[in-house]
Amino acid sequence: MSGPILIVGGGPSGLSAAHAAASAGRKVTLVEKEDRLGGAPILSGYAKLVPSHEWAKDAIGAMVTRVEKNPNVTVHLNAQVQEFAGEPGAFVATLKDGTKLDAESAILTTGFTHFDSINKPEWGFGTYPDVVTTTQVEQMISSGRGVRCPSDGRKPDRVAILLCVGSRDRQIGREWCSKICCTVSANLAMEIREELPDSNVYIYYMDIRTFGLMEGEFYWGSQEKYKVKYIKARIAEVTSDGKRLLVKGEDTLVKRPISIPFDMVVHAVGMDPNVDNMTISSVFGVKMNKYGFIDRQNTYTTLCETSRPGVFVAGSATGPETIDDSIAQGSAAAMAAVGFAANAVETAAE
Amino acid sequence: MPIHEKSLIRPEKLIEHEELVIEGVDVSGHWSTFIEGRSVADYNENLQDEIAALPGGEYIHRCWQCGSCTNSCTVNAINADFNPRYWIYLIRTGMEEELLRDKDIIWQCVSCNKCTYACPRDVVPEGVMKATSHWLELKGHTPKSPSTIFDEAFSEQVISRGKIEDGLVLRNFFKRTGQPLNQPWLIAMVGGLIKRFPVFYLMKLGFATVFRPKTKGWNRARDAINEYAEEREAANRKALGLGSKGAK
Repeated sequence: MSGPILIVGGGPSGLSAAHAAASAGRKVTLVEKEDRLGGAPILSGYAKLVPSHEWAKDAIGAMVTRVEKNPNVTVHLNAQVQEFAGEPGAFVATLKDGTKLDAESAILTTGFTHFDSINKPEWGFGTYPDVVTTTQVEQMISSGRGVRCPSDGRKPDRVAILLCVGSRDRQIGREWCSKICCTVSANLAMEIREELPDSNVYIYYMDIRTFGLMEGEFYWGSQEKYKVKYIKARIAEVTSDGKRLLVKGEDTLVKRPISIPFDMVVHAVGMDPNVDNMTISSVFGVKMNKYGFIDRQNTYTTLCETSRPGVFVAGSATGPETIDDSIAQGSAAAMAAVGFAANAVETAAE
Repeated sequence: MPIHEKSLIRPEKLIEHEELVIEGVDVSGHWSTFIEGRSVADYNENLQDEIAALPGGEYIHRCWQCGSCTNSCTVNAINADFNPRYWIYLIRTGMEEELLRDKDIIWQCVSCNKCTYACPRDVVPEGVMKATSHWLELKGHTPKSPSTIFDEAFSEQVISRGKIEDGLVLRNFFKRTGQPLNQPWLIAMVGGLIKRFPVFYLMKLGFATVFRPKTKGWNRARDAINEYAEEREAANRKALGLGSKGAK
């Protein structure tokens, strides 16, 4: 057995996997296609993370520093794997610039892509400047500029957050629940109310899935402490009366159509499979599941395994995932990779 | 064109114009009846806070719309339109117009408190109903109910003298509700009293009717109660954004 463990993608699970494998004394090669490590929380400029309320640049930043300072880890930025050949225990990855990297095994932590709201034109994104996404609101907060209407920079008096944008929607081939948007939206609603105490924030939902312990702090906390209002309605369309945005739909608990004016409409965008998954799947020879995420074998007797022996997967590459769970899966994948190498040595000795 | 199933449309949404011409087309009269849209056009953002500020409404924000209150409701069993779960939702989202459609049944809550014990979130729906009725009254949407008028006639006397004189309570109640004093049941009752009551007690009753006795040293209690009642009244009115009102 020779060569380091190859980790593809420097987001939370990749950083966690790199740290775990390096801590176990293994050499790690971390390949990242962007010009810096950190993944979606850093690249998309998230503000405070759920459920810790720590700023993304501090929390994920610490993970980045920890990996960069580790002598067992070699980082390749602006790099993409173009070819992946060889056998388990002796893979060779070729980067786009021609660099060849030996790898004993690989961990795919290639993450997800934010749903592009332009695919739901009836909700006004791309038509009205004051229709934005949760990612944009995260950026407004993390940049310190504050939550403002993009059209004229005014502070919004009334904000509507629409849940399940790009999730649970057969019309656009996305049947999955993106898992995190409910809690993220509740968290953003609280942050908007904290910054703009005179504002009113309404969340339009089909169901609320602030699962586990987040029920108390986020779902009820947002209502009780921050007076965020939850309205059970699937919005039909977002239009404008020339001055403000008009949100139309049916309030299903009242059985009545609604047509309510808003200053800002926020799409709680879901998690799509990484747009590069077709390429990743063919380069690494791993199967995708029917939704387009990287397929993971059963988790009962195997750990983080893909359809190809020696290639592991963790985090939101496998489906919508929280940051905390991505980190945990990163460690698990590292464990699997380290164990895979040890087993191989044993088998060879027999 | 005639409108089919007109009964399904709220009468206020049916509009006829005596004289209206749109782009050269005469659309006046019955044969051009318009139907207005029925969608909810806005939220009253203060509605929940207003109800929550009134006694009983404090925990409305906890509701998660499970419907346990409506399921257990005594009045709902008789009248399906009596739906506390629905009104709590309207209040929480601020759909004031929708709420006002039911203003004539909301106060029919009998305070059995079955909902209070069924509620998994400790909303105390009975209290919310009470607060909502109070809100409707303070805002002038519903007239004072006869029982409120009776309570007022009763408590005014208690507050001013520490004691009540039943005859005066009744007389005030009938006067304020516009009912005649010569009710057959009342005449029968008074007649019965005169016939069967011991003379000593009759004299005591007569004395009380004429002189209206007062509890000893009551003035300080009266002032304290009045002060507290005025304070509460002012707080309630302020929470509802109403101006201050002179003493009743």
